[in-house]
Amino acid sequence: MDKKNSSMGRNNILKKVLFYCGNFIIGIIFVSPLLWMVCASLKPEAEIFANMNSIRTFIPTHASLNNYIEVFTRLNILNVLKNTFLYIALILIGDLFLNSLCGYALAKFDFKGKGLVLNLVIALMVLPMEAIMLPLYIEMSQLNWVNTLQALVIPFIPKCFSIYMFRQFFSDVPDELLEAASIDGSGRIRTFFSIVMPISKTVYATVFILDFVAHWNDFMWPFLVMTGEGKRTIQLAVQVFFGTQPVHYSAIMAALVISAIPMILMFIFMQKYYVEGIASSGIKG
Amino acid sequence: MKKNLMTVLAALMAVSLTACGGASANTTASSAAASETSAGAASSSAASSSDAAKLTIWSPTDKESVENWWTEKIGEWNAANPDIQVTREAIDRSDSYAYDNKVATAVTSSSLPDIFFVDGPQVSYYAANGIIVPLDDYFTADDLKDFVPSTVAQCTYDGKIYAMSATESSVAFYYNKDMLREAGVDVDDLDSRTVDNPITWSEMRDIAEKCTTADHVGTHIIMDHGEGLPYALEPMYISNGKDYINDSGDTAEGYVNSDEAVKTSAFLAQLIADGYANIEPITDEFLNKACATMLGGSWDVSVLSENADFDWGVTYYPVSDATKKAVSPCGDWSAAISKDCKDTAAAGKFLQWLMNTDNVATYAAAIAKPATRNSSYETEAMAEYKNYPLSLMVEQLNNTASPRPRTPSYASFSTKYAEAMTNIFSAAASDHKVDEAYIKEQLDSVAADFTEDYNTYYAK
Amino acid sequence: MVKSKAIKKQSESVAAAAFVGPAFVLLIAFLLVPMIYTVYFSVFRYQIMRPNDITFINIENYVKLFKDPDFWHAFRNTLYFTIVVVPVQSALALALALLVASKTRGVAFFRTMYFAPQLTSMVVISILWTILYNSNPSTGLINSLLTSLGMESINFLSNPRTAMNSIIFMSAWQGAGYQMMIFIAGLQAIPSSHYEAASVDGANSFQKLIYITLPGLKSTIKYVIMITMIQAMKLFTQPYVMTKGGPQNATKTLVYYIYTEGFQEGNFGYACSAAAVFFVIVVTMSLVMKRLTTAKE
Repeated sequence: MDKKNSSMGRNNILKKVLFYCGNFIIGIIFVSPLLWMVCASLKPEAEIFANMNSIRTFIPTHASLNNYIEVFTRLNILNVLKNTFLYIALILIGDLFLNSLCGYALAKFDFKGKGLVLNLVIALMVLPMEAIMLPLYIEMSQLNWVNTLQALVIPFIPKCFSIYMFRQFFSDVPDELLEAASIDGSGRIRTFFSIVMPISKTVYATVFILDFVAHWNDFMWPFLVMTGEGKRTIQLAVQVFFGTQPVHYSAIMAALVISAIPMILMFIFMQKYYVEGIASSGIKG
Repeated sequence: MKKNLMTVLAALMAVSLTACGGASANTTASSAAASETSAGAASSSAASSSDAAKLTIWSPTDKESVENWWTEKIGEWNAANPDIQVTREAIDRSDSYAYDNKVATAVTSSSLPDIFFVDGPQVSYYAANGIIVPLDDYFTADDLKDFVPSTVAQCTYDGKIYAMSATESSVAFYYNKDMLREAGVDVDDLDSRTVDNPITWSEMRDIAEKCTTADHVGTHIIMDHGEGLPYALEPMYISNGKDYINDSGDTAEGYVNSDEAVKTSAFLAQLIADGYANIEPITDEFLNKACATMLGGSWDVSVLSENADFDWGVTYYPVSDATKKAVSPCGDWSAAISKDCKDTAAAGKFLQWLMNTDNVATYAAAIAKPATRNSSYETEAMAEYKNYPLSLMVEQLNNTASPRPRTPSYASFSTKYAEAMTNIFSAAASDHKVDEAYIKEQLDSVAADFTEDYNTYYAK
Repeated sequence: MVKSKAIKKQSESVAAAAFVGPAFVLLIAFLLVPMIYTVYFSVFRYQIMRPNDITFINIENYVKLFKDPDFWHAFRNTLYFTIVVVPVQSALALALALLVASKTRGVAFFRTMYFAPQLTSMVVISILWTILYNSNPSTGLINSLLTSLGMESINFLSNPRTAMNSIIFMSAWQGAGYQMMIFIAGLQAIPSSHYEAASVDGANSFQKLIYITLPGLKSTIKYVIMITMIQAMKLFTQPYVMTKGGPQNATKTLVYYIYTEGFQEGNFGYACSAAAVFFVIVVTMSLVMKRLTTAKE
């Protein structure tokens, strides 16, 4: 009896060791390109491409923050971050507000043309932005929006995917709850804001996260419509920096690291919602 | 309800349709208006500053010294000319085509600025499409005598001046003296070359071969997949006997795909096939000591003098062994007046001022490029151009510079040529040998695409 | 009662208009109208610099498009990328999810590691890997590793045979963390009683994976494949930053083709015809995918 227990214990320990060691080794290999990026950003330029065939390439022996200082002097990174957060925030506000209203009406109201709207939303869900970017670009220039915040924000507020997610979620909200509110004399709009919204935090968090990540990665559209200096978004700024003389690889690495920091912070502080958001998108969809 | 929705849809469509259609109607109207105002501008220019002419300029975003130059100069102009108030907008160039996209959008919406900067070879494209207007009234033949001939040539289309540039560019052969000495190359010989006695292709190849080691390659060929390729390599083709496109700018057939052009491309591809040049050079490869020599731009002089921690030199653009004909690249961003400009007289006046000897000199100094005006070199701002290595660039500009093809189909040509050369180089790199039949095939398709673009939009 | 229902219905229509209206108008203006315009302009000869010279040319653009070998390159490359990256990335994501699905102490740390590439952007990753993939062993980390192991260096991005695969490898690495999170949620939703019952029946881990895990993940897998596929069809950033569609067209994708034709060369009408075809392809692929996954059920 005792013997069996101890062997099982040993087995468990072995399993644990395997689990931790295995994951650790795979994990290190997995993140090694990123580790190299961080190390290179701390090295002087001359050392980046030295010792590449040994493990020493991952050790910044003369680590300093000089490269970061160079990025800050050559690139107005604070302004770039401000631009990026501003436009994403505006999109998110519009998206969460308007699309959830739309999704709610599609889930709970009975009105003429509902089928049409719903079908349109579903049909347009597969429409890739890339297929319409040419006329959309012309539309922007006709509205005189090129190089303005509007061009980055307004076309991206309507999102079929968000509407659909909201509709799916709100469909599960029990009608009794809404009826009770209506008996209390609460209007539809008040019911929505005071009853429905507070119990729907998950779906809002999901849409928020998915949208934030998608727009943080935006490259092509800002690249087309935002050409003025001082209006660059983070991805554009990094791309421009990569191609601006003098090219110092160490400074480029520092710029890459800086551009990742906001997302890392967001992940650390919102990890729970972040993971839930990504995960629930899979279950709901 | 269904019907209602359709009406709404139709209304929305109609609104945006008229917006699209309206744009083209507006264009004609505004260009007519523009010619009217330019006639009446002289009489009304004495008006008070409240209804002063307002000019907007677009030019590419540049480094701090250039941005400061603009701020200072525009401040100066606006203070001295209350009747013509100028503002400048800096436009990003995140890739070689982003700026043109921006102009294209403005064309569609008729919202071009009064003056905008155009890259040299694009002048023909904009001129042929009526986007920019002739400047002959503002730059007389006499004025033009002071400008280097290559600038005037590049800015001329169909016999008229369409743009004017303050700066020029050139490309020459840079070498890392430390690496060359180590490889046993006669550095003193290279240092002593003159414009009449430049190195030849075979000498360039020799040096590249000797200097290729495990740590670095012998030379560097520009690999920007964009305008850099046709720009930096064109002299090779001309020196070997055939340019990309004929002089009247309507034929590529028999030029870019001629035997001479195939041989030229093969020479370059061979450098890659032999491993003397990298197919994927890191950016600023020469500065980063990953190559021993390079065909580099005049702008690299300042980059290297500020940043290089090794001994380097520069000599003239190499010539073909067959002809020994010295040719060098040139061309830079030039200012042009757009068709949407309401007051061309004011814009012309401003351009005259912008391109005066002192402004050209200080601008060129700020942007670290050679000036276009000979008189500018006499000013203090351009003093360093009297000495090597910058004097070499000026020498090339005055003696060997040849502008890029003047054709309205240049944009299409440039993209296709860059793509073909990238293909040729990558084939050479992966096969370790050069296949002339493949080169011919690639260049044939460049010629065919050029012909198609030209015939679709410009042939009469 | 009947009357009140009618009133209710009427007021509901008013409310619906207020709720649906704003999003709907924006949807029409910025999705539907541009889409219709894509099709509309695709039958015109329209050089972007010549807005006064727009000529109706019927289906000429389409004829030219289907004759253009570059378009077919782009088409094949897009298809190839999609067909390879979807299973590779999904399988990698599933494997990672299985590694870290358990609720052991410290597992969050490993999850974060696998998720880390997601915390940077595609542009950043593309720039980084352009440097890592560099063909010269003295400047490219991966090639320096290969040569020190006694292998030959590879021109990852400049050889047409390896360029697209290099982009696929990188993209799968970057994207897997995201799908991993979805799979973890899917795995946790499978009742543990199923596994316990299987253990009692003496099933080994592999059998459990085949008979319990995979069937339990069916809807998750379908979802993951669908989103990965739609994402993959739109490939642009990686070739734009890393290869400019080259070498020898090996990484030119449909979106890249639309971009160069429309924006770089100004063949606006022609590019619209390519965009319209692209849209049809995406819709067809989605429908085929949907049919395939529902047929399996």
